[in-house]
Amino acid sequence: MDEYDEMFEIEDNFDDQFADELEVLAQMEGESEAVLALMSAFILLFLCVFRSPPAAALEISGFAEIPETPSRPLTAASPSAPRVLRRPPMEGGYVSVTDSSGSRVYLRQKEDAETQSRLVPDSHGALGLLTVPIRVLKEQEAERQVVEESQHAENEENEDPDDTEGRKSRLWVDRFSPRHYTELLSDDFTNRCLLKWLKLWDTVVFGRERKSRPARPDRQAANQNAFKPNQENQKPNRFKSKIEMTEELLEAELDRYERPRFKVALLSGPPGLGKTTLAHVIAKHAGYNVVEINASDDRSAEVFQKRIDTATQMKSVLGANERPNCLIIDEIDGAPAAAINILLAVLNRKDGHGGEAGAEAVKKKKKESILLRPIICICNDLYVPALRPLRQQAFLLTFPQTQPSRLTQRLAEVGFLLADLPAAGDIIRSCDILIFFLLPAVQFLHGRGLKQLDARTVQSVSVGQKDQSKGLFHLWQEIFQLPRMKRKRIGVGFEEAPGSGSGAQRFQHVLHLASSSGEYEKVSQGLYDNYLSMRVRDPSLLGVCEALEWLTFSDRLNQVILHEQNFSLMKYLPFLSVTFHFLFAHTSVPRITYPHSQHEASSRLLSCRNALSTMLAEIPASVRARLGHLSLTLDILTLLLDIICPKLRPVNPQLFSSREKEQLHELIDTMLAYNLSYRQDRTPEGQYIYVLEPAGPKPSRNHQQRLENIVKQTTVETWVRRVFLHSGLWTAPRPSEKCAVLAMGTAVGNSDVWFRFNEGMSNAVRRNVYIRELL
Amino acid sequence: MSLWLDKYRPTSLGKLDFHKEQAAQLKNLVQGGDFPHLLVYGPSGAGKKTRIMCLLRELYGPGVEKLRIEHQTIVAPSKKKIEINTIASNYHLEVNPSDAGNQDRVVIQELIKTVAQSQQIQSSTQRDFKVVLLTEVDRLTKDAQHALRRTMEKYMATCRIILCSTSTSKVIEPIRSRCLAVRVPLPSTEEVCSVLTSVCKKEGLLLPPELAKQICEKSGRNLRKALLMCEACRVQQYPFSADQDVPEPDWEVYLRDTANAIVSQQTPQRLLEVRGRIYELLIHCIPPDIIMKSLVKELLNNCDGQLKTEVANLAAYYEHRLQLGSKAIYHLEAFTAKFMAMYKKFMEDGLDAMMF
Repeated sequence: MDEYDEMFEIEDNFDDQFADELEVLAQMEGESEAVLALMSAFILLFLCVFRSPPAAALEISGFAEIPETPSRPLTAASPSAPRVLRRPPMEGGYVSVTDSSGSRVYLRQKEDAETQSRLVPDSHGALGLLTVPIRVLKEQEAERQVVEESQHAENEENEDPDDTEGRKSRLWVDRFSPRHYTELLSDDFTNRCLLKWLKLWDTVVFGRERKSRPARPDRQAANQNAFKPNQENQKPNRFKSKIEMTEELLEAELDRYERPRFKVALLSGPPGLGKTTLAHVIAKHAGYNVVEINASDDRSAEVFQKRIDTATQMKSVLGANERPNCLIIDEIDGAPAAAINILLAVLNRKDGHGGEAGAEAVKKKKKESILLRPIICICNDLYVPALRPLRQQAFLLTFPQTQPSRLTQRLAEVGFLLADLPAAGDIIRSCDILIFFLLPAVQFLHGRGLKQLDARTVQSVSVGQKDQSKGLFHLWQEIFQLPRMKRKRIGVGFEEAPGSGSGAQRFQHVLHLASSSGEYEKVSQGLYDNYLSMRVRDPSLLGVCEALEWLTFSDRLNQVILHEQNFSLMKYLPFLSVTFHFLFAHTSVPRITYPHSQHEASSRLLSCRNALSTMLAEIPASVRARLGHLSLTLDILTLLLDIICPKLRPVNPQLFSSREKEQLHELIDTMLAYNLSYRQDRTPEGQYIYVLEPAGPKPSRNHQQRLENIVKQTTVETWVRRVFLHSGLWTAPRPSEKCAVLAMGTAVGNSDVWFRFNEGMSNAVRRNVYIRELL
Repeated sequence: MSLWLDKYRPTSLGKLDFHKEQAAQLKNLVQGGDFPHLLVYGPSGAGKKTRIMCLLRELYGPGVEKLRIEHQTIVAPSKKKIEINTIASNYHLEVNPSDAGNQDRVVIQELIKTVAQSQQIQSSTQRDFKVVLLTEVDRLTKDAQHALRRTMEKYMATCRIILCSTSTSKVIEPIRSRCLAVRVPLPSTEEVCSVLTSVCKKEGLLLPPELAKQICEKSGRNLRKALLMCEACRVQQYPFSADQDVPEPDWEVYLRDTANAIVSQQTPQRLLEVRGRIYELLIHCIPPDIIMKSLVKELLNNCDGQLKTEVANLAAYYEHRLQLGSKAIYHLEAFTAKFMAMYKKFMEDGLDAMMF
């Protein structure tokens, strides 16, 4: 039950805060029994006489009404005169009462003084129904408020004084942001874990001895506490596995500087859940002075280093309360990798001093260089590449969604009257449980003079709808998937969730999504790549035609927008998505692939173009003058490939007939003229083949040529003179293969040509192998 | 210079093999001394470029055949550098402005203007103008064409412009009206055959007339293609046989297969396959309008008379949109889908009619 240690401290805190009330309560519990009988009589009387309920409740306990009752001016009739009259009295005030059976009676009203005198006032003139007179209570309350306010002002110097104007102008988000641990809305477990981690630093920072683990066997004690049971009952079983895991992390031994094993806590979660608030509140709660670095600060490496050092190694001496710093690095996922590396270096700094530090680990305060202050990092996306190294060294805490019930409760605390609970639920849902969105929405409603929230208002005001774009995949999914029928919620005039229901709503929904995504180009690309694989029955292909019509339209639109800079047309682009939704949406979950095709095509086209232009660039001018780009691609190249693979007998070129020699000549001339050459490639089997650039069976111009190094002009010329020797063999194009691959010809019989045979890595085994030995 | 195409290309107007009266007219034009701007147009493989080179030779003599390639770098007002290759002799400059893509206007403005502005030095011995030859004018953007207008008028004294394009429809009216249009039609079948035979004779080969005819048919009277095919045939098998199969450009074969695929089945899945094939063609630098044209040609082979007009109409519509848009694949696919729908409906109607 160690984990509740902090809870108790919190409660201590709580006790401090509400000391006065608790005192009163305790007294009341003890002594009220004496007056209870009397009071209950009164209460009964009141209840049966007045149909209106007692005045507003005080939040302390169930006995809340009691202290107030005597202060009511109205009271029972005096015993002397007939209390209940059948008809209205002739003089004085009266109250008419109708009982449940319908008969009406009249009660005479009397002066207060009279009543009080009846009830034996004490020395102060009070009735004495309360052990502590109401006057005293009031005074105490006022005093307490004054003290609290002064404390408040002290604690948060930077905060505005709570004058009424200031209050009005402030956003509710600020005004009602939690200031104490108990006010935190986020998940209890997360809060506790973070607090506990922070407490692990106590040994180093405050020099406090850490409580030994089994120090708190008092589970019973915990259970006795009025605030405890619900937490006790829920938490352990609900978070069992999580607890165990995190527990382990937290229970890990302190290192030799008595620091916790994880020097950094990394909070992550979607925006608006109160991560920053939590960090601040907890750091303050644990007695630290908060130093925050966030994305608005310069986070280049040097500045970051400086700030970390200042924050972790210095201490404010001027402030009224000298508290150690706790560094909070907000929005760390946006920080440059260099900054994060610096942070890591700071974390691991002890390693450098490892040797000598071991002995004097006790006097760690002296050591300036090692990290002795807690650092809390906050991020939205835990999996940003830059954070990867940090993730391994940090105590990770992910934020779960805030429970709507807690939010509702909080709304009530904020002072907003909620007409019905569903309404609250609704507004919370529409705000997607993000406190940042919620409070402004409510404040907006409040500002419009609405004191009561009901479902209709919430629906009619489209406030708090996030304008935040979701991922492209989400969008495509929404477009290609029909919404599932949602359970109808209670209430008249309720609209269903966005996206479901009638065509008009779906239309609006998809339109909204598409226009908020903004990346129309990408979106339409994704639609184009995916729509044909959707499971839609369209035997006559009319839907497909329609869709393509829209695609071509949007293409034209894009063209006009870009060419004429006419951006007013942009607003028509998202309608493409709507069309696709109505044409292809299906109830089953679509399988959407990321659209690569266009990009792939364009990059391949580019490489083809480049090959072509390099080829063209080196073609001699005399040929070039008659050669257009187009004619080259359309006519010449493909046929050229046929032309340059003449059938040659696979024999020694010297044995070629004069005709064949001439052919070979021509071949080489052609290749030179068109800037073609063969590149020698080695196959995995160790054979050399000659490749005429990409040898694909596909359409025309895979064989885009321009090839390096083999049949270069010089080699060709030498061949023309005598024999072309390359590794001793003349490579003759093989007739069977269409072109591209020119394998080694078999060859040379009993010529003096030999292989130099290198075996292994050294020159040790080197001998000449004659061709005839191979044959 | 080993392809027959290059080897046996005529170099003077007198040696041209076909459209001889046009050659004579061009000769007269040169000798007349009042040489206008020219717009030479005609389908590819008809010999436009050859004719132009012959004309230049007629104008300037054999010096015009000493060509050099120049790499020019032009800095656009947006500080972007445009690199372009030009082919030049002492007397003329050949540019393909569409190499610069969207920036072709800059090429026209900077490059051509500077050339046009400079005077010929030895005007006594030479003609007092030089020639700028612009190829693939139909790929020129409208901006560039407008930039050309004034240049053509202003520097008439020092410069003539010869435009070479496959069709006049994409050349704006003001430019057309400034030029003498010279149409170079495709040679007739007989002319192609006679050219092939004479080339073969010069090579010392014997070409059977049947094969010549077949080659001519396969090449669509495109003389360039015909010569290449003939040479490929020669490589394949020398003593020619009359029924030898003539190699075709493989993109055409590929496109034919695609067309057959479209006709044989009309489903979204098939459309997806067709998309892949069209992508493949586009990747290999086959211009989308040519894909469209050849595809329609192949598809029409499978269509009935009545359907033919509709398909042609459809193709015209989508080709126009193709020119207006930038994503060719959308338009090609839209055409394919529409054709599929139409064809399917047609076939089903036909079946129904047969049943009753």
